[in-house]
Amino acid sequence: MADTAVPIVIRRPTEDRVGAVLFFLRRNPRMIIGGAIVLAWLAAAAFAPWIAPYDPIKQNVSEALLPPSLRHWLGTDDLGRDVLSRVMWGGRVSLSVGVISVSIGLFVGTTLGLVAGYLGGKYDLLIMRGIDALLAFPALVLAIAITSSLGPQIQNAMIAIGIVAIPAYARLTRGQVLAVRAREYIVAARTIGAKPLRIVLRHVLPNVMNALIVQATLSTAFAILAEAALSFLGLGPQPPYPSWGQDISYSTRYLPNLKWWMSVGPGMAIFTAVFAFNFLGDALRDAIDPRLRRSG
Amino acid sequence: MISYILRRLVLMIPVALLVTMGVFAIARLSPADPALVFAGEERDPAVLASIRRELGLDQPLPIQYIAWLGRALQGDLGRSFQTQQPVLEAIAQRLPATFELGIAALTISITLALVIGTLSAVKRNSVVDLLSTSVTLMGVSFPSFFLGILLIMLFAYVVPGRIFPPGGFVPITDDPGENLRRLVLPAITLATGTLAVNLRQVRSSLLDVFGQEYVRTARAKGLGERAVVVRHALKNALIPVVTLIGIQIGAIIEGAFITETIFFWPGIGRLAVQAIPSQDYPVVQGVVLISAFSFMVSTLLVDVLYAWIDPRISYGRVRD
Repeated sequence: MADTAVPIVIRRPTEDRVGAVLFFLRRNPRMIIGGAIVLAWLAAAAFAPWIAPYDPIKQNVSEALLPPSLRHWLGTDDLGRDVLSRVMWGGRVSLSVGVISVSIGLFVGTTLGLVAGYLGGKYDLLIMRGIDALLAFPALVLAIAITSSLGPQIQNAMIAIGIVAIPAYARLTRGQVLAVRAREYIVAARTIGAKPLRIVLRHVLPNVMNALIVQATLSTAFAILAEAALSFLGLGPQPPYPSWGQDISYSTRYLPNLKWWMSVGPGMAIFTAVFAFNFLGDALRDAIDPRLRRSG
Repeated sequence: MISYILRRLVLMIPVALLVTMGVFAIARLSPADPALVFAGEERDPAVLASIRRELGLDQPLPIQYIAWLGRALQGDLGRSFQTQQPVLEAIAQRLPATFELGIAALTISITLALVIGTLSAVKRNSVVDLLSTSVTLMGVSFPSFFLGILLIMLFAYVVPGRIFPPGGFVPITDDPGENLRRLVLPAITLATGTLAVNLRQVRSSLLDVFGQEYVRTARAKGLGERAVVVRHALKNALIPVVTLIGIQIGAIIEGAFITETIFFWPGIGRLAVQAIPSQDYPVVQGVVLISAFSFMVSTLLVDVLYAWIDPRISYGRVRD
C-alpha cells in the first residue's frame, strides 16, 4: 500500500471555495431551509411598506371578516384590515424585538462572562451570583414582570427580553474563558506584556465566537416567542399597531364565530419564524461547533 | 449527602437575597407613582402624602426594601391595591388551580415522552421516530397560546356536541367530572411545550445508553429486547430526565401565565396578568416572588434527587 500512487486533484482556489460552499450546503439542508425562511421573513419585514398589499391600520368596514380569497390572501379582520398586511408589518415588530433584545443579551452577557472568567476572584463571584439570581426566575415570568413595571411598550419588551437572555451568554463565555485562560498562547501574550483588554478581545473572544453565534440564533427564536407572548398579554405594542401576539389575542373574541383566519395568519407567522431560527440554530451548532452537538 | 444539601442551601442564600431585591425593584422601577395608583381617583396632595407615609414610600429605598423584606419573611406580601385582599391570601386561593393544571400537564408530558421517546429510540429511523422528531421540532416552536386557541376552536366550536368547553374552572370538590372536562384542553396546551423537550431528552439519553457495554452484555446473555430496554436501559436513561422535570417547573409556571389567561383558569398566572393593567404591583410582585422561589426550591430538590439517584455525581463539586 505504501507505494500506491495517490492521485491528487488540484482545484483552482475560487472554484474550490464555491464548491466547498455548495458541498457544505448540500450536506446541511436544514441550514438552507432555516436560512431561507429567516431571509424570507427578514425581507417581508424590511420591505413591508412596499410589498404589503394594504394599509395595516386603515379600517374598511365594508370588507370586514372576509375569509381568505385572492383579494385578501389571509382574509380580513372585523375592522376590514387585511390580515396578510398586518402579519407583514407585525414581522417588523417581532424581528426587531428579536434582533435588538438578542444584541442586548449578547453584549451585556458576553462582557460579564469575559470579566468574570478572565478576572476571576470576587468579580467572578459577584457576577455569577447575579446571573444565578436572574436564572432563579422562570424566563418569561421575569420578562413579564420587567415589562409590566416599565410599561407596556415595545422598547420595554426589548429591554426585558434582553435582560432575560443575559445569563446564557454570560455562562457560555465564562466557561470558554476558563477553558482557555491557562493555555500557552494566552500565557505567552501576557508574558510579552499585552494588556488584559487586548488579550480578552484578540485571543479569548474569538474562541467563543462560534458558540455565541449559535446561541444568538437560538435565542432569537426565544425572543420572537417571548415578544409574541408579551404582546398576547397586552404588554407589547398597543393597538391599532400590528403585532403578531396582540393580533392573536384580539382574534380570540371571534373564536365562537369561527373566524379562524384572524388567528391562523399571525399564529403561523410566529410558528414559521421561531421554527426557522431554531432550525438554523441547530444546523449551525452541528456545522460549526461539533463539540456542542447533542447525541441523537 | 447532608453536607452537599447544606452547601447548596448556604449558596442559595445570597441568590435568594438578590432575587428579593430584583422583585422589590420591579415595583420601584415603574414610572407610575404607587401612591397615585393606590389612591384611585383621589388627587388631593394631603391625602396622597398620607398614603405615601402609610405605604412607607417617603422612606429611602434601602429602608423600604428592608421593611418590605421583613414583612415578606413573615408572610405579609402587602395588600392588593384593587381588592384590598392580602396578596398571600389571594395567591393561596388560586394556587390549587395552578397546581392541578401543572400536575396534569407534567403527567401528560412525561407519560407521552416516555412512551413515544422509548419507541422512537428503540425503532430508530422508523415512522414513530420520524413522528417524534417532528413533534419535538414543532413543539419547541409552536406558541402555546396559538395552540390553545386552535384547540378551543376545534373542540368547543367545530366538533359538534362541545366535548370540551372553551374555558372556565369548576372546583374538583363541586363536580369532579366537570373539573376534569375543563382541565383537558389547558393541560394539553401547557404540556405540549415541555413534551418536546422531554421527548428529545428521553430519546437521546436512551440512544446514549444503548451504546453502553452493560446493554451489550444484557443482550449477549440472551435477554429479551423488552427486558433489556425496560430493566436495563430505561432505568439509567431516566437520570437526565429527572433534571429536566426540575427545569420544567419553571416552564410550567411561565406557561401557566399564558394558558390560564386563554382558558380563564383562575390560577396565580391569571391573577398576575389581571393585576398588570391596573398596576396592582403588590399582586404582581407576590406572584413573581412565589414563582421564583418555587422554581429555586424545585431546582434544588431535583439536584439533590439527581445526586441521590446517580452516585457518580460528586457531592463536593456544586457547580461548574
